[in-house]
Amino acid sequence: MTRAAGFVLLAAAIAQAQVPLGLDAYIPAPENNPLSIEKIALGRKLFFDKRLSRDGSIACASCHDPNLAFSDARPVALGIAGRKGTRRSPRIANRAYGKSFFWDGRAATLEEQVGGPIANPLEMDLPVAEAASRVNLSETELRRALASYVRTILAGDSPYDRFVAGDRTALNAQAQEGLKIFRGKGGCIACHLGPNLTDESFHNTGVGAGDEGRAKWSGRPEDTAAFKTPSLRDVASTPPYMHDGSVATLEDVVEHYNRGGRANPYLDSELHRLQLTDAEKRALVAFLKSLSGTIREGSL
Amino acid sequence: MRTLSTILLLAAALSPPKPVWTGPSVTLLGGPSKDGRWLSYVDHGDLALRELASGRTVVITKRANGSKEFAYFSTISPDSRRIAYAWFNKLGFYELRVVDLDGGEPRILYRNEETGFVQPCAWSADGSQILTLLFRKDNISQIVMQPAAGGLPKVLKSLNWIYPKKMDLSPDGRWIAYDSFASENSGERTIYLLAVDGSRERRLISEPGDHLFPVWTPDGNSVVYASGTGVRMLDLADGKSRSIADNLGRVVPLGITQDRTYYYGLRTGGTDVYASEIDMAQGKSGGSPRPVSIRFPGRNSQPSWSPDGQWLAFLSRRGTETFGEETRVLVLRAAKGDGERELAPKLARMDAPHWTPDGKALLVRGTDRLGREGLYRVDTETANAVRVAEPVDANGCSPAKAVLCGTELRVGAERYETTLAKPTELAWAPQRDAIFVGDGSRLVRIPLDHSPVQKVDTPSGFSIHPNGRTIAFTAGSTNSEVWALKIP
Repeated sequence: MTRAAGFVLLAAAIAQAQVPLGLDAYIPAPENNPLSIEKIALGRKLFFDKRLSRDGSIACASCHDPNLAFSDARPVALGIAGRKGTRRSPRIANRAYGKSFFWDGRAATLEEQVGGPIANPLEMDLPVAEAASRVNLSETELRRALASYVRTILAGDSPYDRFVAGDRTALNAQAQEGLKIFRGKGGCIACHLGPNLTDESFHNTGVGAGDEGRAKWSGRPEDTAAFKTPSLRDVASTPPYMHDGSVATLEDVVEHYNRGGRANPYLDSELHRLQLTDAEKRALVAFLKSLSGTIREGSL
Repeated sequence: MRTLSTILLLAAALSPPKPVWTGPSVTLLGGPSKDGRWLSYVDHGDLALRELASGRTVVITKRANGSKEFAYFSTISPDSRRIAYAWFNKLGFYELRVVDLDGGEPRILYRNEETGFVQPCAWSADGSQILTLLFRKDNISQIVMQPAAGGLPKVLKSLNWIYPKKMDLSPDGRWIAYDSFASENSGERTIYLLAVDGSRERRLISEPGDHLFPVWTPDGNSVVYASGTGVRMLDLADGKSRSIADNLGRVVPLGITQDRTYYYGLRTGGTDVYASEIDMAQGKSGGSPRPVSIRFPGRNSQPSWSPDGQWLAFLSRRGTETFGEETRVLVLRAAKGDGERELAPKLARMDAPHWTPDGKALLVRGTDRLGREGLYRVDTETANAVRVAEPVDANGCSPAKAVLCGTELRVGAERYETTLAKPTELAWAPQRDAIFVGDGSRLVRIPLDHSPVQKVDTPSGFSIHPNGRTIAFTAGSTNSEVWALKIP
């Protein structure tokens, strides 16, 4: 069997593996970095390897804790020597389906993204090539392995997924009412849509004044303080919220949008006062809690 | 021998297309059986078969008189023994059914209230799987493989609300060919291949242009697709594409049989906007109607005069789509001279344009690129579209429980007079401070603070110039035909 044919068979085997309910069986990966068992296993080890930080004190998993749905309980990322970042560590489940990476979308691929936190002086503070040499890999090998592992972190099979798949009992009456609001009066679905509940686009919701956001990379003034819509999967178990971790609870998030976001010159045109009743707000929160399911990682 | 093969190929390629079915009964919602004997279609809402050689028809399903249920898209199994079809059920959504060609009780394969629409596209060669398109309530379309024995479908890929126009399964069952947009900002479609096992996807056609409706050849070596008004075939071995037929018109591919006959539908005819002088007092026409524009003939409809009478706005089809959502632009035609300009707002669908009273914008019923239906205000300078009203739930009850009762609108305990004799439509203003109520031809805005009801200039089938002497209207019709073409 040729090496190429072997790759195809392996990719097929990977795809045959059960993805969590609610997600696509097709997991996008670049032609030059198809998923393989070896790379995923290597990437998994690297994800927990503290040698990738300058002082050997933190690993990727330090801010993307598997016990917190690959999230972080802190408002902003904490790097080596207690250095504080400016933004919250994004949840990284289902990033295989992503179209751009980081809150401001500055990385086009996962291969590019995984090097960012390693090199960031406020995070792991180590040139990626140096980090790679510490673990006896080339930089390309390191990037491809980490990206491959991240592609296997998949969250789904929530009550919401079961409901959408046809199980009418999977959501209780309150959560079903919340789903109606999510799709209708609340207008949440304008940005939180699709299997991963994100449009992978950038919006200014009036959070985090002083951070250029997407505009720094797009050069478009209208992108000022616009940040990528996060997935809502497992959102109930991953507070605090927003790109700067400035909102503590789901109830506060709902209230933020109920007020139409925070006024500023670049506020997204989708935002306006929702005039939700207290019961509607509670229903919306109940629905958001139904988005918690199972997370699968590292396996084929 | 080589020369003979070439001659035969050329002869096949040169065979002109032939009409195989014309007339008012033609629908383009099915496809041919692989053996070329049958063509599935919809006969007055029932699933039916037409024997292509004899013209004999067999109605498969039996709708009850007055039933709101009906059959829609269908595809015949490779052994010509079963048909998978979409059925609009009593509950108001489509389900996937299978029935034997010789009749019998249909089986429901997929029924999910969260999935409002299903379209069976192709069977696997062994008859165990049905390639199906699902369209969910949240405006997500999904490419799935549905087990023919029943059970949960395997979702291969989710797309946004702009679904593939056509999908087909390769004869070896390994690949799905489907069309989708060439890029996020493109209005042009192209063809993609998606592995049935979910392992890979690749773009099949890189050339610019609008390429859609892919169908596999029986040998699995090529993909036939529509491009503009013609049909092309791409050889998978060398990646080269060549024309099979040009200038066919508005093509709707139905399928390819084992003997390499390509069956396709044609949308013929068209509509245009005409203007005519009219004596309003006598109700008589004052002369022959004249088409208002000679650009894009057969593609124009739904005129509306501006309040100052200087402009006539109408819709004009631009895309090659032959069913489903059409790509349309708004044309503004000067009342004097030949001046025309086009507005292409970022809307996926537009209907019923009508000027706002200030003459600065057009109101259109439409759908934005997130699939949200509503009433949109399109600025005539910038083409910027803003949603000014959204539809309420289908049952007429919004989350705030707005309901129509006779001529009255009730919102909770509050009651409002609509001023309409038979109001039927409800839509919330985005700020939730008013509700739009319509009766199909008129629209009013009812402020919830009980301030006076405001009349909204409304769409209608024709438009009278403010001078009262000129009327603009749509005339013409479209028909469907089935044609066959031997492919090389």
